[in-house]
Amino acid sequence: MSLFSFSPRVGRMGLPFWELEKMRDHMETIYNTLSGGVSQVKKNYTGVFPLVNLSEDDDHLYLTAELPGAAADQLEVSIKGDTLSLRGEVPASQLGEEINYHRKERESGSFRRILALPVKVEVDSIDATFKNGILTLTLPKAAEAKARHVTIKTE
Amino acid sequence: MSADINVREKQEASMNSTETTHDRTMFSPVVDIWETDTGLVLVADLPGVTPDNLSVDLSDSILTINGLIGSEVEGRKSLIQEYEVGNFYRQFTLAEGLNQSAIAASLKEGVLKLVIPRLAPAQPRKIEIRTIAD
Repeated sequence: MSLFSFSPRVGRMGLPFWELEKMRDHMETIYNTLSGGVSQVKKNYTGVFPLVNLSEDDDHLYLTAELPGAAADQLEVSIKGDTLSLRGEVPASQLGEEINYHRKERESGSFRRILALPVKVEVDSIDATFKNGILTLTLPKAAEAKARHVTIKTE
Repeated sequence: MSADINVREKQEASMNSTETTHDRTMFSPVVDIWETDTGLVLVADLPGVTPDNLSVDLSDSILTINGLIGSEVEGRKSLIQEYEVGNFYRQFTLAEGLNQSAIAASLKEGVLKLVIPRLAPAQPRKIEIRTIAD
C-alpha cells in the first residue's frame, strides 16, 4: 500500500504546505478572473522532479516524464504493489569548474520520486521506453481494474 | 555525488512579431551557453523533438530554434497533468566574431547542442610595455 492515496485534489490535504498551495490556487483563480477568465488546465503540483503526466485508456495506464539529456541506462523504474518509483540521473551538459557560462538554465543531478498509481497494474508486463528525452511507461491494468462491459439481456 | 534536481515549470515563449500557424502552446527551452577556447557552445532541452521536426535558422545574426513535437495519442484520458506539452521556440542574437557559417548541430535524447566557432581564435596577446628612458 502506498502512503498517499491517489486522489489528486483532495489527497494533498495531509501534505505539508497544503495551506500555501491552497493560497496559490486561490491567487491563480483571482489572476485568471482578472486576465479575462481564461481557465487553465488545473495542474497537480507536487514539486518533485520529474514532473509526470498520467493518462489511461481501457486497458493501460500511460506515464510520461520529460528527462532530456538522460540515458536509458541511468534511469531506474521499479514498482511494488501500486507504488511506482522513478530514480535516475541527468548529467550536466559540461563538467568542470572553470567554465564561463553566459546562461545556465538546465537542471542536472539525481532524482528520486515515488507515486501512487490509481489502479492495480500487471507488474510483470510493464513496458518502459526512453526516446527523444521522454520516458514513457505503459502499464497494463490488472484484470480486476479493467472496465468491463456488461451485456444487458432482454428476455 | 550530484545534487538533487529541482522542479522548474516550463516557461511560455514570448512570440514577438512572429506569427505561428500552430495552435499548441510554445515553450521557451532552457539553455546552457558557455564559452570555450575556440567558440561558443549552446545546449537546449527539447524533449520530444526529433531531428526531422527541428529547425535551427540563422539570419541577420539571429539564431532561431524551433522544435515541433508530435501530436498526442488519441483516445487517452488524462489523469494527472503536471507538465504541459508543446512546441519549442527561442531566439538568440549572436555576437560578432563568430563564424556563423560553421555552426555544428546535433540532437540527442531531446538535447540540442550547437557549437559555434570563433572567426579567428582569440590568442592571448602579451603587450609589451616599453620603458622610456629619459
